[in-house]
Amino acid sequence: MKGCSKHIQQIAEYIDGELDEALCTRLEEHLKECNNCRIMVDTLKQTVVLCREGKRERLPEDIESRLNDALKNKWEKKFGKKS
Amino acid sequence: MNEKELIIQAQSGDFKAFSRLIESRKDKIYRLAMKLTGNRDDAEDIVQDTLMKAIDAIDKFRMESSFGTWLYTIALNNIRAHAGDKKREALRPIDDYLPGSHSESTSKELFDWGDPHQQFERKRLNDMIETALAELPLKYSAPFTLRYIEDMPVKEVARVLDLSLSAAKSRILRARLALREKLSNVFREKNNERL
Ligand SMILES: [Zn+2]
Repeated sequence: MKGCSKHIQQIAEYIDGELDEALCTRLEEHLKECNNCRIMVDTLKQTVVLCREGKRERLPEDIESRLNDALKNKWEKKFGKKS
Repeated sequence: MNEKELIIQAQSGDFKAFSRLIESRKDKIYRLAMKLTGNRDDAEDIVQDTLMKAIDAIDKFRMESSFGTWLYTIALNNIRAHAGDKKREALRPIDDYLPGSHSESTSKELFDWGDPHQQFERKRLNDMIETALAELPLKYSAPFTLRYIEDMPVKEVARVLDLSLSAAKSRILRARLALREKLSNVFREKNNERL
C-alpha cells in the first residue's frame, strides 16, 4: 500500500491527460491490480467534475450597472471626459 | 480591434476600449471571488476593487503578460486581502491523504463513491463543494480553482500566482486530495446511514 504514494502525482497527470505514454501504460498495468489506486483515479476525477458542475454565477445586474458608473467616474477623474 | 489595440486605446484614455477589455472578465473575476471567499458581498467588493486598481495601473501595463493574466493577478491580491483574516484549516502533506497513512480520516481501503448524483441532489452537491472549497486555505484553493474551474493551463496558474511550476502543481494536487477526502467523508457517512 505504501508504494502507491509514489503514483499519486502520476495519477493526477494521468487523469488530466498530461502523463506521457510509456508511464500511462505502466500506470494502467498497476491499476489492473490495485483497487485503491483505481478508486483514487475515479474519485479524483469526480472531484473535479463535481467542482465544475457548480453554478456559473454572473455579476447581478444592479451591481453591474452600479459598477459601470463607478468605473466611468474613476476613469473620467483620471483621463478627463474625452470618451 | 485586437486585444493589443484595445489596450493601446485604453491607455490613451478611451473608456470604451477599457470596457471592452473587461467585458467578459468581470463575471469571471466575480465567480473566482465567489468560489474562493464563499461570500457574495466580498465577491462584489473584490470585482470593484480589482477594476478600480486596473484603471489606476493601466498605463503601467507593459504587455508582458496577457491582459487577462494581469487582471487575475490584481484580483488575487484583492481576494487575499479580503479573505486573509478568516480562519481556515491547514492542509496536510500529500502522503497524508493517501490510503494507509496515519491520518484518522483515511482508512486503508478507500471508499468507492459510485455515482454521487444518485445519492444527492445537484443543489446539495453544489453546496457541499462550495463549502469545502471556501474552507481550504487560499494558497491551495486559488491554484485549484484557476486550474480546474477557470481551465487555466498550469504554467499560467504558476505565473498568475508567482509560483514555480512544481509548487503550482503540488498545491493543485493537495487541494484536489483535500477536497476528495472531504467529499469522501460525507459520501461514506451517507452510505453508513443507509446500512
Ligand atoms: Zn496502487
